[in-house]
Amino acid sequence: MGKLLTADFLKIKRKGLWLLTLIGPFGVVALQMVNYGVRKDYLLQQSEDDWGYYLLNVHSFTPLAIVLGIAILTSFIASIENETNAWKQLIALPVSKLTVYLSKFTLLAILLFFSSTLLMFFTMGYGLFLELGDTVPYMELAKYSYFPAFAALPILALQLWIASVSHNQGIPITVGIFGVIFAYSSYLLPDWMIWKWPSLMNQWNQPMINVLLGVGIGFLLYIIGMIDFARRDVK
Amino acid sequence: MEYIVQTQNLSKSFGKEQAVSNLNLQIRKGEIYGFLGPNGAGKTTTIRMLLGLMKPSSGTIKIFEKNITKDRIQILAKIGSLVENPSYYPHLTAYENLEALRKILGVSKTRIDEVLEIVRLKEVAHKKVKGFSLGMKQRLGIAASLLHSPELLILDEPTNGLDPSGIIEIRNLIKRLPEEYGMTIIISSHLLSEIDQMATQVGIVSKGKLIFQDSIEAMRRFAQPKVTFKVNNGEKGWRFLLANGIKADYQNGVIFLEECSDEKVAHIVQVLVQEGISVFRVEEEKRSLEDIFLQMTMGEQGK
Repeated sequence: MGKLLTADFLKIKRKGLWLLTLIGPFGVVALQMVNYGVRKDYLLQQSEDDWGYYLLNVHSFTPLAIVLGIAILTSFIASIENETNAWKQLIALPVSKLTVYLSKFTLLAILLFFSSTLLMFFTMGYGLFLELGDTVPYMELAKYSYFPAFAALPILALQLWIASVSHNQGIPITVGIFGVIFAYSSYLLPDWMIWKWPSLMNQWNQPMINVLLGVGIGFLLYIIGMIDFARRDVK
Repeated sequence: MEYIVQTQNLSKSFGKEQAVSNLNLQIRKGEIYGFLGPNGAGKTTTIRMLLGLMKPSSGTIKIFEKNITKDRIQILAKIGSLVENPSYYPHLTAYENLEALRKILGVSKTRIDEVLEIVRLKEVAHKKVKGFSLGMKQRLGIAASLLHSPELLILDEPTNGLDPSGIIEIRNLIKRLPEEYGMTIIISSHLLSEIDQMATQVGIVSKGKLIFQDSIEAMRRFAQPKVTFKVNNGEKGWRFLLANGIKADYQNGVIFLEECSDEKVAHIVQVLVQEGISVFRVEEEKRSLEDIFLQMTMGEQGK
């Protein structure tokens, strides 16, 4: 597994995936740079808790960036193997198909959480720049950075599944686009839709529920995807 | 007899279509086994099953006397393969491509230089594969398959799409491997001339069935010349010959015989002339392996 993962990291070299994990969180914070740059005084009047209000503003775009980012990352990674049908070469090596799939998932999860970590630092950096108050709410900061990523694990598992079993990358991209549209209209979606979860909204107002659901259902979808991947003939 | 690869009633169907049916391959150690058949005969499907990429619908595959479905990873550790078009990562250099595989195989880094040397890609090791010619990509694919010094090398159409010099180069490389490294090689092709120049054993597959499996010499024995007689009345002449106890065939106005000694030809001419038939031409027709191959596969398709 470790061997496969280091090989997978080598394969994403020069593919711009690291840049993408950087651009995602940067974009989310950059939108707030524009927002606060234009109407900082107005925004600071909106709430007593300037940090909390700022974090909510940042978080309003995080789910969108995550869902979009996952769709792009997964189909990029699948396309590396699909481009010259390197799946057949990879699977003819003495490795189990289950670990091949696990390695891809792990790679994506690492990129996702790396992106979340960057989001946390960017958010904190711009928050400090805005001088929102001396007491930085570190817990809230971490929560708004990592919770959406955990809640998005089912989307990651689903996208990887679709991307790795379809020969036509149009299919995962289409699913990804619908996911982004769903994530954009989270307010209107019922609680059971996985694309709503990264918004951390639910009828009980408990973000933790989305995190636990995300990890649980994410694991389940991962297992289903892995078994289906292993079961299929390699073309 | 020790077989490296042995399949028993190997079959694979895609829906209703039977791609491979009841294939019994037997490949001994140190052979270059030419796996021959027209396009779409089931060669690639068979090779994919040998590599565990596809599961057989029925039948068993034994490689190194182990069952592929049970001990897939152990078996694959000793197999190098190149299936159809070479697979590579175009955004990586030749060296990085091999490095990605080397990490998974867990062999030493020096092997990369060694295999690049074998396929003569050392000068372009640090160039991106994107810009390689098809022949270079094909050679990189072979390098990749040699990385872990396999005991069995499976090459599916390795000369496909190569120019003549590329074909010769790959052919020489393949011929060298069993002698120098004691490898067993399975090489598939739809070109008999390819197989003829490399293989020691031949298996011919058509419509998913194995229609011939023996040494290349045995196959060449099929290539005996035949003698044809063009006469003014073919059918009449043929009947006279049969009446005289000479087994001949008659087709399209021409009498022909397989395996014909000089004395026999003389005798036949004599018989024909005595019966008052004018002999126009006596010709020896050499049958190439290609003809035999075509005849074998055509016959199978006609059924």
